Amino acid sequence: MDEAADGAEALTYCMGVMPHVVLLDWQMPVMDGLAFLRRLRDLPNGRTPKVLFCTIETRADRIAEALSAGADDYVMKPFDGEILLSKLAEVGAVQSPS
Amino acid sequence: MTPEDFDRLQTLLATRAGFRLTRDRMHLAEHRLGPVARREGYHNVEAMLSSLWSKPVASLGWAVIEALLNGETWFRRDRAVFDVFSRELMPALTAARPGGKVRLWSAGASTGQEAYSLAIAALEARADAEIIATDLSRPAIEKATSGLYTSFEIQRGLSARTMLRWFEQVDEHWRARPELRGAVTFERANLLDEPADDRKFDVIFCRHVLNDLEPARRARVLDMLERRLVDDGCLFLGLDERPEGDSIAFRPVAGRKGLYVKAPSALRRAA
Repeated sequence: MDEAADGAEALTYCMGVMPHVVLLDWQMPVMDGLAFLRRLRDLPNGRTPKVLFCTIETRADRIAEALSAGADDYVMKPFDGEILLSKLAEVGAVQSPS
Repeated sequence: MTPEDFDRLQTLLATRAGFRLTRDRMHLAEHRLGPVARREGYHNVEAMLSSLWSKPVASLGWAVIEALLNGETWFRRDRAVFDVFSRELMPALTAARPGGKVRLWSAGASTGQEAYSLAIAALEARADAEIIATDLSRPAIEKATSGLYTSFEIQRGLSARTMLRWFEQVDEHWRARPELRGAVTFERANLLDEPADDRKFDVIFCRHVLNDLEPARRARVLDMLERRLVDDGCLFLGLDERPEGDSIAFRPVAGRKGLYVKAPSALRRAA
C-alpha cells in the first residue's frame, strides 16, 4: 500500500504505477478527491482502479456527485474494517469476507 | 449483579423468550441493563433486579428481556445468501406464482435490515411480494418501522448507490424511502407463541435465531416454521445454524449454504 499526501501527488503516482484500488479522501490540499477522480478517469488506463471514497463528507448530494464522477463506492466515517472489506468485496477488489 | 441475579435472569430469558443467556455474557448483561435501570428510575442494576424479583412487573420484565436479546444485524448479512435469494429464488417464485404474491417472512427481524434487504430485492425485481417481519423486541420493531439508521448502520451491507436509491438523508441519519417502508409490515411477535393466524409463506428467513435459543425450544420453533412454510417453500437459516439435531422437517439444499427445503417426511405428513 502506498500513500499520497494530496490529489496532485496521487495523480502523479497513478501516471507511473496504476494501482488496483484507490482509497480516496474528499478533503485534500492542492487537489481534492473529486478533482483527482475526474482526472484519474481521463488517464489512459485510468478506469482500471477501483476507487472508494473514505471520508467524513456524508451529504447525499456529494455522494451522488462522487458516484457519477466514477467512484465505485463510498464509505462514510466512522467505519470499521468489516465495512471497508465488504465494500471492497462488493466492487470485486478483494474476495468476499463471508 | 450477583450470581443469583444472573441465574434468575437466565431463567427469565429462557421461560419468556426461549433465549439462552450464557454465563460468559454476565458482564455484557450488566452493561446493557445499566441504561434500563436509569430509564426506569433505579439507582443501579441491582436495585432494579431486586425490585423485579420481589414484585414482578410485566413491563419491567420485558424491558430487561429486550435489553438482553441479541439484536445484531446488518443489511444483506452474508451476501451470498441474498444473491441466491434475489438471483435464483425470487425469479423462480415469481414464475411459479403467476398473478399471485410471493409471501416472505423475516422471523427475528431485529431492527429491520434483513427485511428491508428483502424488500429492496423484491422491488428491484418488480416482484409482487408481501413481506412480514416480526421480532420479540418492541424497541427493535419500533426502530425497524421508523426505517431510520445511522451512517454506520446504513453502510453495513449496502452500497452507496443502493443507499441513495432507497434511503433519504435526514440530518445525520438515513430513512427508508416511503416506497421501501411501505413494502414491509413489521409486527411484534414471540416465536414461542402459537401464531395468531394461519398465514403461510413461500420463503422464511429465520437467521441467527436458533443458536440463541434454549436447546429445548429449538424443536418447537422449527416445527412452527415448518407449519408456516408452503410445501415448496424455502427456509434460510444462519450459515452456522443446523436444524438436523432438533428437527427432521428440513433438508439442506446442496451448494446453497443456509438454504433448506421441507424434507420428504414433512411433506408426507402434510399430505
